[in-house]
Amino acid sequence: MALIKTQTHQPIAHDERKQARDCNSLLLELENDNPMARRWAARDLADCPAASAALVSRLQLEDDVSVREVILTTLTVMGNEVAVVGLVNCLRSEKVALRNEAIEAMKQLPDEVAPIMRGLLADADPDVRIFAVNILESLRHPEVESWLISVIDHDPELNVCATAVDLLGEVGSSASREPLLRLKARYTQVPYIQFATDLALKRISDG
Amino acid sequence: MAAISISESEFEKFREFFYRKTGIQFESSKRYFVDKRLEERIELTHSGNFRAYFTKLRFEASGAELQQLTNLMTVNETYFFREEYQFQCLVKSLLPEITGRKRDNTPIRIWAIPSSSGEEAYSIAIYLLEFWAGINDWDIEIISSDIDTKILALARHGQYSVRSVQHLPEKLLRKYFTRQAENYQICDDLREAVEFTRVNLSERIDTRAYRNFDIIFCRNLLIYFDDASRKAAAETFYDAMKPGAYICLGHSESMSRFSSLYKVRKFPEAIVYQKPLLEAR
Amino acid sequence: MKRILIVDDAATVRLYHRQILEAAGYKVYEAVNGIEALEKSLQQPFDLYVVDINMPKLDGYGFLRELRSQDIYQAPAIMVSTEAQTSDHQQAFAAGANAYLVKPVKPEQLLIQVKLMIGEARG
Repeated sequence: MALIKTQTHQPIAHDERKQARDCNSLLLELENDNPMARRWAARDLADCPAASAALVSRLQLEDDVSVREVILTTLTVMGNEVAVVGLVNCLRSEKVALRNEAIEAMKQLPDEVAPIMRGLLADADPDVRIFAVNILESLRHPEVESWLISVIDHDPELNVCATAVDLLGEVGSSASREPLLRLKARYTQVPYIQFATDLALKRISDG
Repeated sequence: MAAISISESEFEKFREFFYRKTGIQFESSKRYFVDKRLEERIELTHSGNFRAYFTKLRFEASGAELQQLTNLMTVNETYFFREEYQFQCLVKSLLPEITGRKRDNTPIRIWAIPSSSGEEAYSIAIYLLEFWAGINDWDIEIISSDIDTKILALARHGQYSVRSVQHLPEKLLRKYFTRQAENYQICDDLREAVEFTRVNLSERIDTRAYRNFDIIFCRNLLIYFDDASRKAAAETFYDAMKPGAYICLGHSESMSRFSSLYKVRKFPEAIVYQKPLLEAR
Repeated sequence: MKRILIVDDAATVRLYHRQILEAAGYKVYEAVNGIEALEKSLQQPFDLYVVDINMPKLDGYGFLRELRSQDIYQAPAIMVSTEAQTSDHQQAFAAGANAYLVKPVKPEQLLIQVKLMIGEARG
């Protein structure tokens, strides 16, 4: 027994994927009991745009994080309307992990998410609005600051504004100054808002 | 041009951003070190000031500038027995756990990526031969990969500078190397023991053949990747690992910035990440 | 000095909690998500955790469940979140939290809970 080199140099063309890889059989595989089979199916379904609806509904049920991750990657690659709507629906899920995974996936889709961002930031559910601000954190889009300003000027929910202020400390320019001062004046009784707006204002004026 | 300087708030802003991205947290005492490097990059990228540079850093699609800067902020050298505590963990904790649950006699497979010029893969080989009694009972395969064919040629050749071998005990240096002018040549037995291959981690076609590993060493690589590439790499590794297999990252790297696929395991020597032994449901 | 780990993805929240706790004489550490919190907890013992719920990679519930399954010193945890539903409180306690505060917290509110959990930092 010793250190040995790989005995065989076969380029492994046939791996675990036994099933014929057409879209229909992949959809069936998505329900397989074996998470490994579901992972491979979710990955290969990237070439089947019509499968986005099935992936979205599987995502809601899927308990295995490794399968969910692949489904989210595939949906991100697809980036079609069904995929994006599916991701938005995850934000309303009771499952915290799924919500946060969806937020991370949506950060990767600036072009697809930008058109619906105003809608998300105006959603009736304050939690969804907080998640929308979370998405802005890494969204490569020129309007991020103006969206955040509109949040702190208009959102009635304290915690939505608080989340936006955190990000403005990083991305805010002098355009954010007045809105931050207005927010600060609106919540004089809330120590956290006083702290957060002061911090953001300091970073903006120094910057 | 006026000298570029970093204000207190700018330092704080950068510090928080860099911590979020990499997990590396600079103390205030590192202010000078950080400022110098930021100023250097602001100048070289012709950004003019911190604000413009920071915007580039955050929003550049390729993530190339963040990679450059991370490189400057971390000392990334490769030499024999670097981060030796992980090799101790390998022989004292990981391999005993693997052999304890292994039900067949197939070889134990180790993947070291990136190979760079081979110091890490050869260090693993030396460590196993010297400090792991199980080498008498088990076969081990060490495969080491890199995207760069030139560096792979160097790794296969196995010639190293004095600096590169300076942390090796004298006894091991004499046993496994021969002096050649300014350099040290690693012996043929070790060159035979490690397989060096070319792999681009972000190419599915390249990584498809890499399966059934028991341990992966991936040190000081993912920290330089952007978020999407890190996630993809973490998934590639997951597919390449057996259930229960381990992955070792570099000392300044944290899986908390890369992926949620792995369990955090604490061993006496090191923190290591593990693919769940039983796949859920 | 008692050691507290703040686990929150929002930098401003971490800083806010840090200042309150440091002013009261505690030693404060930070983590941006549940995985980093777990890594740090396995490397060094803490006397208390102050944990957010919604975080990327591993959320607050997931962190507490993992933490509570580890064979290490089990410090109390205060969950601090924007979510105010009874079901959130129930989930937090089921995951292993010992107290629950709704954001944004007032300094004295946080300190009362901290002192209840680990006692006075300064006499």
